Amino acid sequence: MWKLLKTEWLKIYRYPAFWLLLAICLITYPGINYICYNIYLDITQRQSMTGQIVSLLLGNPFSFPEVWQTSAYLSSMFVIIPALLIIMLISNEYVYRTSRQNIIDGWSRYDFLLAKAIDVALITFIVTILYAIVALVVGIVHTDSQPAVDPAIPLPDMNSTEGSGSSGSIYFEKIHYIGLFALQTFSQLSLAFLLGMLVRKAFVAMGIFLFYALIAEPLSVGLLKYKFNNDIGKYFPMEVSDRIVPPPAFMSKLDEAGYQASLDAVPMHVGLTIVLIGITWMLTTIIYKKRDL
Amino acid sequence: MDVLVAEGIRKSYGAVKALNGVSLSVPRGTVYGILGPNGSGKTTLLSILLDVLSADAGSYRWFGQPGSKEQRKKIGALLETPNFYHYLSAVNNLKITMNISGRGSAEEITRVLKLVGLYERRNSRFSTYSLGMKQRLAIAAALLGSPGVLVLDEPTNGLDPVGIAEIRELIKQLQRNGHTIVIASHLLDEVEKICTHVAILKTGNVVSQGPVDEVLSDEDILELGTADLQQLKDLLLQREGITEIEISGSLLQCKAPKGSIDPAAINAWCHENGILLNHIALRKKRLEARFFELTGN
Repeated sequence: MWKLLKTEWLKIYRYPAFWLLLAICLITYPGINYICYNIYLDITQRQSMTGQIVSLLLGNPFSFPEVWQTSAYLSSMFVIIPALLIIMLISNEYVYRTSRQNIIDGWSRYDFLLAKAIDVALITFIVTILYAIVALVVGIVHTDSQPAVDPAIPLPDMNSTEGSGSSGSIYFEKIHYIGLFALQTFSQLSLAFLLGMLVRKAFVAMGIFLFYALIAEPLSVGLLKYKFNNDIGKYFPMEVSDRIVPPPAFMSKLDEAGYQASLDAVPMHVGLTIVLIGITWMLTTIIYKKRDL
Repeated sequence: MDVLVAEGIRKSYGAVKALNGVSLSVPRGTVYGILGPNGSGKTTLLSILLDVLSADAGSYRWFGQPGSKEQRKKIGALLETPNFYHYLSAVNNLKITMNISGRGSAEEITRVLKLVGLYERRNSRFSTYSLGMKQRLAIAAALLGSPGVLVLDEPTNGLDPVGIAEIRELIKQLQRNGHTIVIASHLLDEVEKICTHVAILKTGNVVSQGPVDEVLSDEDILELGTADLQQLKDLLLQREGITEIEISGSLLQCKAPKGSIDPAAINAWCHENGILLNHIALRKKRLEARFFELTGN
């Protein structure tokens, strides 16, 4: 296992696309948080009724502990970036015919698949670390300086000394979103891997993945839900795991019942996601073993 | 003991029968050539032996045991094309080979790169290599850790004449050091120069196999020249042990079982019968002719 990881790391860490996509993640994760923070400020600063209610009801989504969820949701919208990398990594093996060479050199087919699963886990791990760091920084920046009631006024919080006793638990209250983010990413990257392995050509696979993840699925989920009043869309491959990190409250248009329902559905979707991951890798194994190299 | 034994290997691609029950055995310490025209199934056979393809029927054993990843680790192999990560240097590609096969070390990588003449370019990306350099790297990867068995599919593909000579010399040297080498090739000349044994493959069937001398020259040809070829032919027809006589150009060719012709005796005999020869030469049957004969081309 350790050897497989070492070999895969040799393949990855000198791959220019790996660093490029990592750099893109480094820009987009903080970037999207910053953009949405400004949108949020814009809403709350209006001093309107809505703005006040948002602040009162939900607190600052960019302070602890809400930031774990907010940032997880925002960062997960960019799962396509690591997905492209995963697709490139597997299609490289076919284009360079190294998938053959690895077997010739002494891996079993099972070793090869395990190594690729390690790739997906490794990229998931790296992306999760990035998200966690961004969430941590965003949280630290916004937690102390901003009272939850009125984030528009960046005055030192009078209650901060009093509140510091409980701040430890506030910091980590929703930290399980790191796990949820990782699970969601692993599930979606596994789908990208399956697609890449099926199609073998990077550009075709990327095209299909982008079209499906960004257009086809959201569209059909929405259409089914609002036009046909059918919620079957929640079982679609991407949507299943999308729902384990629900959108932060301020994005759900104050539909408190709906927000609560989405939170309540998380455990079920965690279960479904784990099942889906199992199915994805089972399919991968079956297809890979059936196919000549 | 045989290093490799294959029995009744069959493989079809749809209606096309690529291998039609191929059996062969490779003795230890030989250079075993698998010779055949394009599309005869050489690469398919090697792919099956290296577990890249699965056979429809038949079995094979390496070192007396069924094929497995542990067996493959002990085999240095180059199959069809050099397969490497394009964005990695020669050294880093070989590190991956080393990690997977467990053969070699940092010093070994240096040694094999020097051996194939890539040491100067060891840190260049694979994508910047010429075809010949790629092939050299593939040979280096096969040689890494000095495996006891090498499987080389068209090893001189893309190499310049100097490179071809170097690789041939290398293969001969490896054999002298006790390595067993299996080579697939469509180059007769290559097989004739370096192989000790050969199997000839024709549309998925082994038509002949064994030591090169036995397979490739099963009869001797005596070329004779004289003023009146017809007269000579009539004379030779009376002599026993000659299987076939034909006039080809300005020479007469007599075919006889291998080792049965004594040119000196024939010369004396012709002289006694009043025919003076102006040319006499004993030729082993040309490999090429034998190859065409066996493969029916």
